[in-house]
Amino acid sequence: MKDELPFYRRFLLRLGALTRRQLRFTLMLVGASWGVLREACRPTSWRRTVIFEFKSTLRQAAGGGLFSTLFTAALTGFGIVAQAIYWLGIAGMADTTDSLLATVLVREIAPVLVGIILLGRSAMLSLTQLGQLTIGGELRALQAQGVDPFLVLVMPRALAMMLSSFTLGVVFSAISLSVGYGVCRFSSVITMPLWTFLYDIVGAMKPIDYLGIPLKLIISGFLLSLATQLTGLDATRSDSLATLLPRGFARGIMVIMVVNVVLGVTVA
Amino acid sequence: MTDDLSAVLELREAQPVFEESGLTSIPYSLRLMPGDCLLIACRDSLRASRFADLCSGLVPLISGQVLCQGLDWHGLAETRAWALRGRIGRVMQQGAWIDLFGTDQNILIQQLHHTRTKTEAIVAEAIALSRRFGLPGLPTLNPARLTAADRAKAACVRAFMGEPRLLLLEDPVDLETADMMTAFLAELTAARERGCGVIWFSREPDLWRGYNAAGTQRLRLLDEGLMPMKQVM
Repeated sequence: MKDELPFYRRFLLRLGALTRRQLRFTLMLVGASWGVLREACRPTSWRRTVIFEFKSTLRQAAGGGLFSTLFTAALTGFGIVAQAIYWLGIAGMADTTDSLLATVLVREIAPVLVGIILLGRSAMLSLTQLGQLTIGGELRALQAQGVDPFLVLVMPRALAMMLSSFTLGVVFSAISLSVGYGVCRFSSVITMPLWTFLYDIVGAMKPIDYLGIPLKLIISGFLLSLATQLTGLDATRSDSLATLLPRGFARGIMVIMVVNVVLGVTVA
Repeated sequence: MTDDLSAVLELREAQPVFEESGLTSIPYSLRLMPGDCLLIACRDSLRASRFADLCSGLVPLISGQVLCQGLDWHGLAETRAWALRGRIGRVMQQGAWIDLFGTDQNILIQQLHHTRTKTEAIVAEAIALSRRFGLPGLPTLNPARLTAADRAKAACVRAFMGEPRLLLLEDPVDLETADMMTAFLAELTAARERGCGVIWFSREPDLWRGYNAAGTQRLRLLDEGLMPMKQVM
């Protein structure tokens, strides 16, 4: 049948198939994002089971990831903030410290590191759970009871991760700056009070940063969760954790980087 | 018995897509009235599971119709289809338990999701049913950590929760769990008296030997379709 098609139609057929194959996951991600937003706006979606899953994911992602975030933020504060303050002071460029910290740490590093913490601590867990449910045919048990897995698992987890990402991002920025300040104050590199130091950094931020930084945190948390969950739900019988985990990790990292680069270029 | 004259479940020459269901792609027909019970013998538990999926509107059709409480699954809006499935109690053999949750959540999730009944009332109903099936209370362990007999009892508790309109029971009782047969038959009879239609699949038709309640039909699910079965008294 295909041989009877004219050349240009065969070409278009192959081009379309190739494009769809390559863009399949991206299109799934776009569709699922729209689905989550649409369902989240319906009051009837927020049933007891959905609220329960939202709360438990929030507890797992934000509560469970808090210690990792605090530790990473302290290391970042010690390694980056203190060093930046110290070396900029030595180079006689202390005036640029505030804008540099606002640009590099709060705007660029915080969303990426928080995204990686969430990927490792929560999104990979979601991927494993949903992958096992899909491979084991257990999602069918939910469907047979009239419980939509998208509504009960995917939507609340994506929204909880979005909220966790924002929360941990704010905590990360505050702690890393405070620890950096503490180290420099302890070694007498700076003498100003903490509030003045933080006020200067906030003052160095542009108005658009107040939109761009939360957007980076919110969108990367949301898409990261969806990308890993869809990877789990998209598992086939030939998949195992050995194939799912690297695929999910690669997609998660890709989402974090793409969101941060795209928003970095376009918004903040 | 209720006076409802519309069928709880009706298959009208429903021909499933083989690739999606694994069921032989031939037209299936049956009509299950409120309070009726279909005993279907099927050696292959996967086939029974797929047939139950067909009855639940989870299998796409090439032609024909599957109606539940007079509503065609394939003409229903998605949200209404999920809600209608919430009125079906089911004992499953394949992938029956969600390991993410404890057995209690597995039992309660359908009622918590589809109703606004107070959680305490749902839990109380689950505890009462669990005791009737011989469990000490509502099991809270992970399903994988329960014994096979306790899992079978918990599966029955889940299926009978919330007074379902249709029961799809895949091997609810086997030779190993025959000790709960009395409790099972008592709940089954009570459900039928409320007007619930029942399809009971079994690999061991001998288990039905003593069950001859009125309104009961016996069929066999084969590759060739649903065949009438000779009743053995």
